[in-house]
Amino acid sequence: MNKRITLKIAKIKDEIKDIKTFSFKYKLNAKPGQFIMLTDFEGGEKPFSISDCTKDEFSITIKKIGEFTSRLFQKDVGDLVSIRGAFGSSFFISNGKVLLVGGGYAVPTFYFFSKILLESGANITLINGARTKDELLFVEKFGKLGINLINTTDDGTFGEKGTSVDIARKLLVSKLQQNQLVSKPQLGDNSRFHPATAGWKRENVDKFDFIYASGPEMMMKALQGVIGEIEYEFLFERYMKCAIGICGSCTVDPLGIRLCVEGPVLPKKIVEQLTEFGKYHRDASGKRILY
Amino acid sequence: MHNRLKTKFLGFEVRSPLVLPAGIMDMSFSALSISTENGAGIVTSKSLTLEPRTGHKGPVVAEFEGGFLNCMGLCNPGIVDGLAEINEFKERSDTPVIVSVFATNVNDFLKLTEFVNTSKGDFLELNLSCPNVFDEFGIPLAASKDEVHKIIKAVKKISELPVIAKLSPNVYDIVSIAKAAESAGADALCMINTVGPGMLIDTKMVKPVLFNKLGGLSGPCIKPIALKLIYQTYSDVNIPIIGMGGVKCGEDAIEMMMAGASIVGVGTAIYYRGIEVFNKINNEIIEFMDENGYENLQEIPKLEKLLM
Repeated sequence: MNKRITLKIAKIKDEIKDIKTFSFKYKLNAKPGQFIMLTDFEGGEKPFSISDCTKDEFSITIKKIGEFTSRLFQKDVGDLVSIRGAFGSSFFISNGKVLLVGGGYAVPTFYFFSKILLESGANITLINGARTKDELLFVEKFGKLGINLINTTDDGTFGEKGTSVDIARKLLVSKLQQNQLVSKPQLGDNSRFHPATAGWKRENVDKFDFIYASGPEMMMKALQGVIGEIEYEFLFERYMKCAIGICGSCTVDPLGIRLCVEGPVLPKKIVEQLTEFGKYHRDASGKRILY
Repeated sequence: MHNRLKTKFLGFEVRSPLVLPAGIMDMSFSALSISTENGAGIVTSKSLTLEPRTGHKGPVVAEFEGGFLNCMGLCNPGIVDGLAEINEFKERSDTPVIVSVFATNVNDFLKLTEFVNTSKGDFLELNLSCPNVFDEFGIPLAASKDEVHKIIKAVKKISELPVIAKLSPNVYDIVSIAKAAESAGADALCMINTVGPGMLIDTKMVKPVLFNKLGGLSGPCIKPIALKLIYQTYSDVNIPIIGMGGVKCGEDAIEMMMAGASIVGVGTAIYYRGIEVFNKINNEIIEFMDENGYENLQEIPKLEKLLM
């Protein structure tokens, strides 16, 4: 099983303000998209996506957001933490032409994934988006992979100007169709089955075999509206407690899919059925929180 | 579902004797649905409290050779939102629902009962025995036959649903507590809640694995304790027993029935055998009946009562 293991922190790298990568020497055998549970036994055990995993080392990239992560940020190389995992579903490994759409601090998991995709011979276009230059992650690391990297910031302070979805729309939808989209906004981003895009002609636009997204839920919801009929997988986040599929904290409506077992990577055919997608999630008590 | 698995429980005809217990996969309507779709005959809600509770900080589960420790800490969205989830479930399913509630005094149990009366739930379960909230609430009510009697008696006066008492295994005289529940009017018993509590230690960091330090034991290691307590209780009460504790396969469920259980809870086994565990155990029960010449569940004999 996914036995608990207590490990020394082997490396800590400052990425950008409030984001650090912690590395561990351990044969995790994780697949891209999977996560671990991590605790310091001082109160809290949280799920973290794996940002890199080699034969005998793995890394997680963490954003300081609360009490638990603030404590982690005070740790040094050699300090101990305890992990369980890797848990959950993983991304489909395509060998075709793929588009990776990333936003904010959910992007690092695409580093591990891109390396695996490259091994299988995929042609990768990665949209690496953040609100502003100071929040853009892994620019150098992605740059070294030799993939088609599009950095973008909402305010245009680095790379392209616009959100990740703006860039994805440019790649996926032709000029003519974009104009139609602008004139019919009600059929766009918020449509669950995105019928507006179903019949679009795909001329003069990149043809992708598969699209992957990891980012804020509303980014993925908007992206769903411009994807059309291309197959996709999205990486979801929900409050997790047990991570082994028994407590029910991370189930998503209406299917009862457990994000810690059947997720966190969910395929198109499941995502299309989710009624809570982009609408609400549940907190630690199980109460619904609207987006 | 196979006809031979049909059974009756407190006037309800259920399609399988398997019950999803409180605290497992039951935070939302969709979590309840998935157990039903996978073969559970009855589902139980999380134990609901008057106000929402976020529960203990993690780690809240710890695995060891014989099973699990857990200290979820009664996390739940509170009675109002919790019942809304149950009502939403009932709009989609005719599977009976046990609404589990937790409180520490008669007044709060009565308030919770009034809420449950207005819901689409089918049974009311009084969780008198959560073992992992000692720090907050002290010794569980189920340790005292007088407390058990007092609370059930008061709740029975106003409850519009059959009342089930969830008992603790961590007592010396289970029979007197079970009898106190029955004499106060309980319609059924649910036994057992998790055992202990126990603890585990991380030897590298020299810390308890659970942040709460203590957690209730579940899984295969507690089955013998559950069987013993159900067996002890069965002959001395005339109300049905929901038997649970470490049930992982069809034969475990049959053992529970032979000890005296009418229907059987399956919880931690979801981890060992997947959410499909209910259908797997349903099939194993049928195989057992085939191999041993039983036509239906009612023919499965109970153990003879011996002095213990």
